[in-house]
Formats: sequence, C-alpha cells, structure tokens
Amino acid sequence: MKKWIGLLLTVMMMGSLSACGSSAEAASEEAEKIDVDLSSLSSTMVYSEVYNMVSSPEDYKGKMVRMTGTFGVYEGEERNYFSCMIADATSCCSNGIEFVLSGDHTYPEDYPELGETITVTGTFDTYMEGEYEYCQLIDAVMTTE
Amino acid sequence: MKAVFDQLVLYFTYPFVRYALVAGVLIALCSSLLGVTLVLKRFSFIGDGLSHVAFGAMAVAAVAGFTNEMPFVLLVTILCAVLLLGAGQNAKIKGDAAVAMISVGALAIGYLLMNLFSTSANLSGDVCSTLFGSTSILTLTQTEVWLCVVLSIVVVALFVLFYNKIFAVTFDENFAKATGTKANAYNLLIALIVAVIIVLAMNLVGSLLISALVIFPALSAMRVFKSFKSVTICSAVLSVICAVLGILISILQGTPVGSTIVAVDIVAFVIFSFAGVVHGGIRK
Repeated sequence: MKKWIGLLLTVMMMGSLSACGSSAEAASEEAEKIDVDLSSLSSTMVYSEVYNMVSSPEDYKGKMVRMTGTFGVYEGEERNYFSCMIADATSCCSNGIEFVLSGDHTYPEDYPELGETITVTGTFDTYMEGEYEYCQLIDAVMTTE
Repeated sequence: MKAVFDQLVLYFTYPFVRYALVAGVLIALCSSLLGVTLVLKRFSFIGDGLSHVAFGAMAVAAVAGFTNEMPFVLLVTILCAVLLLGAGQNAKIKGDAAVAMISVGALAIGYLLMNLFSTSANLSGDVCSTLFGSTSILTLTQTEVWLCVVLSIVVVALFVLFYNKIFAVTFDENFAKATGTKANAYNLLIALIVAVIIVLAMNLVGSLLISALVIFPALSAMRVFKSFKSVTICSAVLSVICAVLGILISILQGTPVGSTIVAVDIVAFVIFSFAGVVHGGIRK
C-alpha cells in the first residue's frame, strides 16, 4: 500500500514538474520569439530604440517587436494609420511605429480610445508610399491595459 | 540591486547605449579640461554663447538642406569662438557683452529661420530636443561616435602638448606676452578647441546646459585643490564620473539625459564644497 502511495506521489510530482516545465518552456518560447522587447525598457531607452528603428529600419526588418505606448490614429484619405506612440523623457517629442493588426478589424469598434495604453507585438516591416519609406509592425497583436 | 545590475546588463546589449557611454565620457573629459581655463579667464558663459551660435548654424544648415550639418556648424562656431576669444584682452567689446550679443542673436535668428522655413513636422520637439539634449546622445550613429573619438583625441592631444602655454595665457596674458609667448596664437588655439568641444557637447547635454558641463567640474575641483594641474586632473576625473553616472541613471529611471548629468554635477559640487570646508577647517 505504501509502495503504491509512494509511486502515486512520485507520478504526481513528475507530472507537476513537467507541467511547470511546459509552461516555463512555453513562456521561454514566447520570450524567445520576441527579438526586440521594448515593454521592459525605461522611457528614455524606448524612445531612443524607436528612433534608431525608424532611422535604420534595415537592421530590424523581419524581427518580432513588442512595444508599449499610447494608441494613436491618423485618418487618411484612403485608409487609417494606427500607431503605438512613445514620448521622450521631457514629453516634448514623441515617436512611434505604425501597426497593422492581423485579421479583419474595424475602426473604431475594434480599437481602443485615443491615448489609451496599449501593448503591440508584431513583425517589423517597411513599405513605400510615394517616395518615402515607412515602418510598421505587421501581423500585429494588440492588448490594452 | 541585482535587478538594477540585470537591467544594466540588458541595456549594455544595445549598441546605442555603448555609443552614448563612449561619446559621453570623451565629451565630458574634453569639456572639463577647457573648463578650468575658461572659468579662470572669466569666460564661463562662453559655452552657453557658442552653443547658441551652433544652434543658429544648425538651423541655417537645416533650412539650406545640408545632408551633413556638422561641418557647417563646426565652421561657424569656430569663427565665432575666434571672434570672442581670439582677441584676448584687447577686444573692443569685452567678454560678457560680446558673448551675450552673439549668443542671443544667433538663438533668435536660428529659431526665426526654423519657423519661417520649417523642415520638420515637429518643430517644437526638434528645438526642445536640441536645447535640452533629452535623448540626443542615445541616437548617435557609429560614424558620429568615430568623429567624436577623433575630435576628442585631437583636443586632448593639443591640451597636453600646449599645457604650459595654455597655463601661462590663462593666468597672466600680459606677462606671457612680455616673456615672448605668442598669446594671441594660444588664445586662438583655445578658441578653436572650445568651439569643437561645444559642438560635440550639444549632443550630450543640449545647447542650454553646456555651461554646466564646462563649469561645474572645474568649480568642484577648485573647492578642494589649489594647483592648476591638480584642479585640471580632478575636474577631468569628476566630469567623466558624473557623465557616466548621469547617463546610467537616466536610462534606468527614464529621465532626460542632459539634465540628469547636470543634476549629478550639482550634487558633486555640493559634496566637494562640503569637503573643501571640512578640509580647510581641519587645516586651520
């Protein structure tokens, strides 16, 4: 009897350890997928990194980026431009990256209020509009706080 | 503490942080070396004046559409530095009046040009960032860092090579002339070095706070040390330490880089003032 209880406890312990391992592995996998995680940086660092991303986009193309900022939208003639905005330490300058959510979404129903804090995770990409190159996060996933 | 250390290790993986520290150390070193000379020659606000000139030159370069503004800004700043410092004690318009005249004039014209011929969608932000250096040091390219390294080596080398002459011209220009030293030439050299340092320092602390980078380390060192050599060495070491601490605190706490460095300089000044009082009291 004691032997069976001991065996049962061992199996349960092994099961819980593997469960922890699998969630740890899952968390680790998810963390590994993020190439540039701006959500864990200070505001000064975030602003500087976003500035560098926008200035040298070729270094970040194809990388998975996660950033936290405020939601912004520009209603253009042909389409809306959604962005995650970061202010610098003095709040006199702001920088941001446009994002395109994966799947079909309608503005304003599927988007937060202007200025609301959001976390966006997406793949960094560039596109041409006119003669200028712009940066965006494609296939993005957005969460609000 | 471990969390702070881990955060710093993470931040050091970013190239722009390493660039900022390299450039920050070099700029702080160079500005402190000349700071002692400028404070003793009663030209403490020359940094402020020349930085406003550089701001004006930057505005002109932006309006004119120059791809690389640095050479033009350097040239204009050097010319104004020569005008202000090169004449030495024989200038028709003396020190503070000349600095004030050129400083406010350049600042006003620069801002006016930027408003009339705006080349940016965020004019206020660009002006604010240039004036206060909130993140400029963290957005340097590798080329700009190398330029900073080369110019800093030149500045330090010139200071070391001509140390004795700079010392002589600083303390007693007329005596130096009487003994055959080409004081005007060395005034020109000081002007040239100051201009280079000011243009570099704008990236670190912004236009409005450059004077602090020049003045505070020198004044702090003078609270404790008395000889020119020891004041210069102490000023250099202190300036570098304050710059590094300021940059690290700002990236950890999310504060503007320029004003954080100046705040650290102020704290250092208070500590050194206290140390000077205690040291002087013990000696009595």
